[in-house]
Amino acid sequence: MFDEVFLPHMAEAYRLAQWLTGNANDAEDVVQDAALRAFRGIRKFGAVNARAWSLTIVRNTAYSWLMKNRPKSVVFTDDLSVTEQRELEHESPQGTRIETPEEISLSKADAEDVQQALAQLPAQYREVIVLREINQLNYRDIAEITNVPIGTVMSRLSRGRQYLMALLGDRR
Amino acid sequence: MIASMKDSDELRLNAYCDGELDAVSAIEFERRMADDESLRAQYNRLLSLRRAVRSIPQYDVPPGLRARIKSTVDADRPGQVGGPGQAGRARQAGGTRQRSWSFQALAAAAVFGAVISSSVMLTIAHYDLQDDVARQVVAGHIRGQLAPQPFDVASSNRHTVKPWFTSRLPESPQVVDLAAQGFVLLGGRVDVVGHDPVATIVYKHAAHTVSLTTLPPGRSVSDQAIAGYNVRSWSDAQFTYIAVSDLPSADLETFERAFSAGSPAPEVK
Repeated sequence: MFDEVFLPHMAEAYRLAQWLTGNANDAEDVVQDAALRAFRGIRKFGAVNARAWSLTIVRNTAYSWLMKNRPKSVVFTDDLSVTEQRELEHESPQGTRIETPEEISLSKADAEDVQQALAQLPAQYREVIVLREINQLNYRDIAEITNVPIGTVMSRLSRGRQYLMALLGDRR
Repeated sequence: MIASMKDSDELRLNAYCDGELDAVSAIEFERRMADDESLRAQYNRLLSLRRAVRSIPQYDVPPGLRARIKSTVDADRPGQVGGPGQAGRARQAGGTRQRSWSFQALAAAAVFGAVISSSVMLTIAHYDLQDDVARQVVAGHIRGQLAPQPFDVASSNRHTVKPWFTSRLPESPQVVDLAAQGFVLLGGRVDVVGHDPVATIVYKHAAHTVSLTTLPPGRSVSDQAIAGYNVRSWSDAQFTYIAVSDLPSADLETFERAFSAGSPAPEVK
């Protein structure tokens, strides 16, 4: 059953792990860990959505791995002070404080620029953008995997995209 | 900077791009975009961004990882030397049970799916509502500006204004004197938001009027600009505050800090 549930999503799992950890070796470690967790937890798999289930395990494994090996790189809403947390949750989806350029000079932005920009985003924005644009998951699955309400996913996507546009627009 | 788009529109646009709007809302939105250049422009920007992000070369699974995973997992099964037996037994037990859940789970997921997709619309509706509240508060400010004076009770004395509110409203805010910080108390008025009367305290800073409307707590709106006025909002345990002025946002931020700091402790009799 593990073969049917987890293995088909391995390529996606690896890609997600790459984005969350930032490099190939660590991604491999995370995917191996996640695979084992998935295998051991397979009897708890009663849902229809094998993909979301598998990727949730990968995501959680990645963050556990980061907490253990690179604690300073992980900033989560739970770690923020109450004020910052409130700010984050009540931020406008369009973020009036972010200046977005009239045109994104994307013809000038190459893949490396985009990768760098994405890497610069705070974790909670980067992960929803990766899950949406690269893993191509729908809002429901993203909400399930990141364990937040759909409204938060929508707000973070909107704001994350604004950030990216601002970062890419700065390049000349 | 791009002209402010309503929060609900920003979310709607993202949801449209992501194919998360239901068919009716999607068609409605397409019609709006046909007539609205700034919506279209933002839509195109989002598409460009998508193309850019998807153009990043994808990481390929390293060769052999699949094999390595299989061997790791196999080592975990029962009967292997040194492998823990629990997981394997559980796997065998779970095997036959697996097939019987399929239909129930599918049915549940279908209902769940319908509920979740309406969550998208609910989220947008929530922001629509908040946008609406913000607009009504700004309307109150504008009406105040057009009236002979922007207050119904004129007093720079908070001990006059507060009782005036108390006699008219179920909940009334602490009226703070901020003259020292450059915001002179002009008076107060009652505005209407939805069907409910709300207290608005009026201040003056140089030539600019600031209206501070108080609402039930937990309903803060996003900072935004409406009809040329800046809106800033915050909440505490008792109220949500919405400040409207033609002052720049930075000054409204100063106002918020001054007001929050100046809120007096409950009077001791």
